[in-house]
Amino acid sequence: MGKRAIISFLIGYSVLFASSAYMYNQHFSRPLANDAGRLLPTEVKSIQQAAGEEQLQKIVREANDTDSKLSIAGMQHSQGGHTYYPNAIMIDMKKYNKILHFDPKKRTITVQSGATWDDIQQRINPYGLAVKVMQSQNIFTVGGSLSVNVHGRDIRYGSLIDTVESFRLLTPEGKIINVSREENKELFPLVIGGYGLFGIILDVTLTLAEDELYETHTRMIDYKEYASYFRKAAGQPQVKMHLARISIAPDSFLREMYVTNWTKAASKHDRTGYSQLKKDRIIAAPKLLLGLSRYSDWGKDKFWELQRMYMERGNGKFETRNNVMRSETAFMEYESSSRTEVLQEYFVPVNQFTDYIDDLREVLQQEEKFNLLNITIRYVEKDEQAVLSYAKADMFALVLLINQGTSTADRRHTETVIRKMIDVTLAHDGSYYLPYYSYPDKRQLHRAYPRSKEFFQMKRKYDPDERFMNFFYEEYGR
Amino acid sequence: MNFRQFIWAQSLIMMAGSMIFPFYVLLLRNVGDSYAQFGWAYGLFALTSALAYPVIGKMADHLGDKVLLVTYTWGTAVILLFFPLVDQVWQVYILQIVMGLLGALQKNTEKTSLARYVAKETAGRQIGHYHTWTSIAAAIAIILTGYIVDFLTIGTIFYLASIVYVISGWMLWKQKP
Repeated sequence: MGKRAIISFLIGYSVLFASSAYMYNQHFSRPLANDAGRLLPTEVKSIQQAAGEEQLQKIVREANDTDSKLSIAGMQHSQGGHTYYPNAIMIDMKKYNKILHFDPKKRTITVQSGATWDDIQQRINPYGLAVKVMQSQNIFTVGGSLSVNVHGRDIRYGSLIDTVESFRLLTPEGKIINVSREENKELFPLVIGGYGLFGIILDVTLTLAEDELYETHTRMIDYKEYASYFRKAAGQPQVKMHLARISIAPDSFLREMYVTNWTKAASKHDRTGYSQLKKDRIIAAPKLLLGLSRYSDWGKDKFWELQRMYMERGNGKFETRNNVMRSETAFMEYESSSRTEVLQEYFVPVNQFTDYIDDLREVLQQEEKFNLLNITIRYVEKDEQAVLSYAKADMFALVLLINQGTSTADRRHTETVIRKMIDVTLAHDGSYYLPYYSYPDKRQLHRAYPRSKEFFQMKRKYDPDERFMNFFYEEYGR
Repeated sequence: MNFRQFIWAQSLIMMAGSMIFPFYVLLLRNVGDSYAQFGWAYGLFALTSALAYPVIGKMADHLGDKVLLVTYTWGTAVILLFFPLVDQVWQVYILQIVMGLLGALQKNTEKTSLARYVAKETAGRQIGHYHTWTSIAAAIAIILTGYIVDFLTIGTIFYLASIVYVISGWMLWKQKP
């Protein structure tokens, strides 16, 4: 090999090296953000792990200096790009998760917003205390839960906002302020249920409930009896929690229901024997049958039967409040590159339930290709504290799990069906939950949330530069 | 090139190779969707090697081991520059085909060189010695790269490995036959 050959190789190599590195930097090295819906993979500027108050303040101030957009992420189980935005800095709060103060006597706990419900349960369970309101699963961060103002199985304490004493907010200008019902009180109902648009929730003080022993009561019921059955149950003070399922299996579609009430156990039963926190188990049978029900009607019928068996087996079981609030999620995990699973949640006033289900059935029976996998039903009391409040009356909340393709055509199909379902919901004075993919149109949002215009105006009042951005605000707020 | 120099050059090659291969899987995982695609990617690699060996074998006797080894190192250096830019499965397939060709060059020449260097009587000891040093180099590279990937992006290791290949090729070329 001659010298000339070597030199030309080296020159060619250098050119190739430089152009490859340039292209890589331009197009490939930007981190990709995505959420549980997996429908909006997006290149962001960078992902920053929250490490401390000063560091977060610095991030916000630097963003102001460089005119960068910011977004805030917890577990990213919202599904409409609420936690990220193209070319924005995504602040990942998960490691900002210390428990700052716990006062068992006053029954309050102060945690950094990246702490999960599980972190709190581990800490307070030994003291015989429990969370008042949270989702049915305990994997979520407190900050994320506040930002969507969650509700859960509990039927006595309202939505999460009712259990918040105060929190500290890092504002778009980089200042840290206290927010409570007395201090900076205008922000309180904006930030809770505010989808991260008003600043970063640093830490929050929550009030706690006593951990009690509950007895599980389950039964099967026809959907027509459900509303009156529930009203009777809610009239009994010993009933503390409630969860129902309505069939999506073709044989009993939107007619059969399994209902579960958790009532306070008689005092002769001692909590301590049951107080150990349960671990998440992976259950093979439901995982397999949920898998089959994704692909066939036969699977859906079998899955519904299996759920009946689980329900009946659970009847009479004793469980502590803390354990009722940490249910299995692992069997629902779903991995596929061309399909995904999305959620919807519709709220409908208790007294409209039967008619609503009839109308919903009519819509869905015409949509054979719409792959609905599961519906669970919870109850949430009227609560209009949050500006974006979904509980405009005493409502049943129906959570729908939908399997769909990720192609544009599949999305459009899902969108059509979802818009129809939301129209039915709105016609029954209902509303829908906002942490999901932007299938609903603007008109539907404003109808479901009469104060949404005010909400977005306040966003611009407190964050005139729109420092905190996400897809939700872009889609509906501007 | 004496045996010691040969071991040096091969150790560097092993280092660069071990930097990529375990982590290369991470890249495939990002690009591919299924184990079938995974299987195809490695299958194509083996298949092109198989087709290339007869030709390479003859070439080794004609051109000599050094030319082939330099071709291998610099060819790999170039192809590695394309790895960070891959985002489609078909691109992985093409890269795997080229890697299969280059891999065959390396494997065959490694063995022909060994065959030419070692004496029959001491072959065991000498080849053992050879493997010891090249394996040590590989181990060091794998462990260090783990740390590097933690701090840098996965793309960076391909650039680093590419540079190591250029250097080892340079070393091979400089050595007197």
